[in-house]
Amino acid sequence: MSKTTKIEPNLQFVKELQEVGGVDLKKCYQCATCSVACPMSPADNPYPRKEMVWAQWGLKDKLVNDIDIWLCHNCGTCSELCPRGAKPGDLLAALRNMTYRKLVPPSIIGEWMSSPKHLPILAGIPAVIFALIWMIRAAIVGTFFPVTEEGKIVYGNLFPGDFTIDPLFGLVAICVAICFGLGIKNMIDGFKANVPQTFVIGYKKPSLKDAIIDTIKFDILQHSRFKNCVDSPADEERVKGHQILFYGFVACFIVTSIVAMAHWGGKVVHLLEPVGHTPMPLWHPVKILANVGAILLVTGLTLLTRRRLNADTQKSRSNYYDWYLLGVIWAVTLTGIGSEVFRLAGVAPLAFFTYYLHLVSIFMLIAYLPWSKLGHLVYRTTALIYARYIGRLPSGEKLIEDDKILVI
Amino acid sequence: MASNSILVIGGGFAGLTAALEAAEIGHEVFIVEKTPFLGGRVMQLNKYFPKLCPPSCGLEIQYQRIKNNPNVKFFTQAEVTKVEGSVGNYDVSVRIKPRYAGASSPDLSDLCASLTGETCNEFEFGLATRKPVYMDAPFAFPQRYVVDKANLTEADKNLVHKCDFLDLTEEEKNITLNVGSIVIATGWKPYDVTKLSNLGAGNVKNCITNMQMERLASPYGPTDGKILRPSDGRAPQKVAFVQCAGSRDENHLHYCSYICCMASLKQAQYVREQCPDAEVTIYYIDLRTPGRYDNFAKKILADEKIFAVKGKVAAVEQDKAGDDVWVTVEDAVSCAKSVERFDLVVLATGMQPSLAGAALPIDVPVDAEGFIVGGEEKGIFAAGCAKQPLDVMKSAQSATGAAMKAIQTVRGR
Repeated sequence: MSKTTKIEPNLQFVKELQEVGGVDLKKCYQCATCSVACPMSPADNPYPRKEMVWAQWGLKDKLVNDIDIWLCHNCGTCSELCPRGAKPGDLLAALRNMTYRKLVPPSIIGEWMSSPKHLPILAGIPAVIFALIWMIRAAIVGTFFPVTEEGKIVYGNLFPGDFTIDPLFGLVAICVAICFGLGIKNMIDGFKANVPQTFVIGYKKPSLKDAIIDTIKFDILQHSRFKNCVDSPADEERVKGHQILFYGFVACFIVTSIVAMAHWGGKVVHLLEPVGHTPMPLWHPVKILANVGAILLVTGLTLLTRRRLNADTQKSRSNYYDWYLLGVIWAVTLTGIGSEVFRLAGVAPLAFFTYYLHLVSIFMLIAYLPWSKLGHLVYRTTALIYARYIGRLPSGEKLIEDDKILVI
Repeated sequence: MASNSILVIGGGFAGLTAALEAAEIGHEVFIVEKTPFLGGRVMQLNKYFPKLCPPSCGLEIQYQRIKNNPNVKFFTQAEVTKVEGSVGNYDVSVRIKPRYAGASSPDLSDLCASLTGETCNEFEFGLATRKPVYMDAPFAFPQRYVVDKANLTEADKNLVHKCDFLDLTEEEKNITLNVGSIVIATGWKPYDVTKLSNLGAGNVKNCITNMQMERLASPYGPTDGKILRPSDGRAPQKVAFVQCAGSRDENHLHYCSYICCMASLKQAQYVREQCPDAEVTIYYIDLRTPGRYDNFAKKILADEKIFAVKGKVAAVEQDKAGDDVWVTVEDAVSCAKSVERFDLVVLATGMQPSLAGAALPIDVPVDAEGFIVGGEEKGIFAAGCAKQPLDVMKSAQSATGAAMKAIQTVRGR
């Protein structure tokens, strides 16, 4: 007698999935067009057809530990060719959203991040914190909009790094790092239990180092596999936009790190101190890098936002997670540029208010990182490294010793 | 003036059946057929369901009944241009293109062979060319040549002028028919493969459609019934059938075309009968074998060289170096995605109603796909595949039904 498996559907999970973007998942009739259409899908147990049936059946355990949702870069070809309009691409995005929501505690933040109705709380927390700092400092310095004797605006005089900005963001960064650490552990535990090892004859198993190097070099720095997901001009725009935005972030990250290291390092090695002294003159190499970063961010954001606005909603729908992230990055970028422009223009009230908004939006970007779509920075990287390590690669591709991708 | 005559638009299996049913009760019936010959799509098949008869089998009986029944009048190369009036009393304008060939001509095959004009043979779905004086099939009805004047070369015209049975001066005619009821049996057309971009869009040499396969298998087709691949005339050893090529797809035809699964099973049998070593794989979403057809499916699938794989083919590509065809598919049962090489790939393209994108000058409601969904209160009845995708048997049944309703409409007028 054949062994029967009893399926215990988790209907609540199906409903939740539909809420976070998988609205049409029940339309799927398992034709498998999607798995073939996907350029990133591996040969054995390809996605996303199996995810569609798991989602219909409410197999939560299989889905929450599924590594394949991170192999997908959401080009939407599967949804375009889908004969039923079931939008498998959107389902995988919904599953990723589910991960952002549930992977790490406290789950209340995941809840807040999942719907626009909680936006006032998310914005309110940093708004109150920075408003309090502003008021206390205003009481100390005697004005809400302090300027130097030469009439210059120095944000550090109102929000001094040493005992307001840096400790606060330092603490936030530590919390975020702990959450991510927990997230990575949860993910890998899930993968170990659920993802089968791929057995390939005549293939040398890559070391963890090989997998990390491959992922960083090709997937992250060059976006090589992401570029395989291109089959229309809109897709090209998306990869380009993502890559430009990514490098914009890298530039801003380097600037922040230099400033922080020079500032705190300068307290030990006094020689370093002037390097990180803000505000910097416009000719300062670090300032130039910061401004290049800002231009990259605006360019990338424009490309990505335009694509989402022009996308055919019959084929793919943007959800709140997409718009939250784009919105916050727009806010960070525009308030950042605004702070610089109004500072240089010497309009103190406007400059300080814009800088305040900049702090609020940065807090919204960083503090909620593990529960936002930007969490993919850590989660996708983890999954991709794990996938490379176990040999789960797009069909026809393999990782060889000299770190080159060989397409056979 | 009230009329008890009936107009049947379309001279395929459904149209012929409806016309004969009404005529044999005693009503005057007019058949208006767009092409030069009657018989429609069935004429193009090698064998048809349910009994796998050759088309001559069923159609020749129908042609005999038409010949022997003075109540049936048919017009070929004719199209309805205008319909006026109301139920019981319609004036129908019909335009008849010149055929340039008289009735009861002798065998002109020597003349045809000596002509130099060659043009794409639509009856053979582009698998062959034809001369500008031709008949579609040996048993075509009416047994009258047709001259394709536009494709005659100067030399051809001289030859045709010398022939007493051909008359290039014949002109277009317009007639008006007075009828009480109308049966629309305009049938179907194969879905346009050029729209199936991921299945090669008709540009892959050895990727043909199921209707082309019928022509290859037909004894009076371009290969005299030998199934040979178009690129090199070699008998295929590995053949794939791609089901739902356009059907059940929101991007193409939203509905199931009903008969393609059966057609592929039937064609798998053609291949296996001709090539004892050939392997056949049918890729499907669901194998739909309605009613008693399931027994046929079981019989075919019992053949150890016919495989059925659950998984829709989503990529068909030409081999870079040769004429073979690569097919990419996920077997949804074993969960393995693979790229397979085949000698010949057959796309089971669906049925699209002929009226899709080509509406009749009759005020009758059609759905988004082009199927007729009403008009009965006006004494207008759809039959066969103008109404929904059907096999020949059900098409004939629906034609009998439509004829019955048409008779009830005109009776006593």
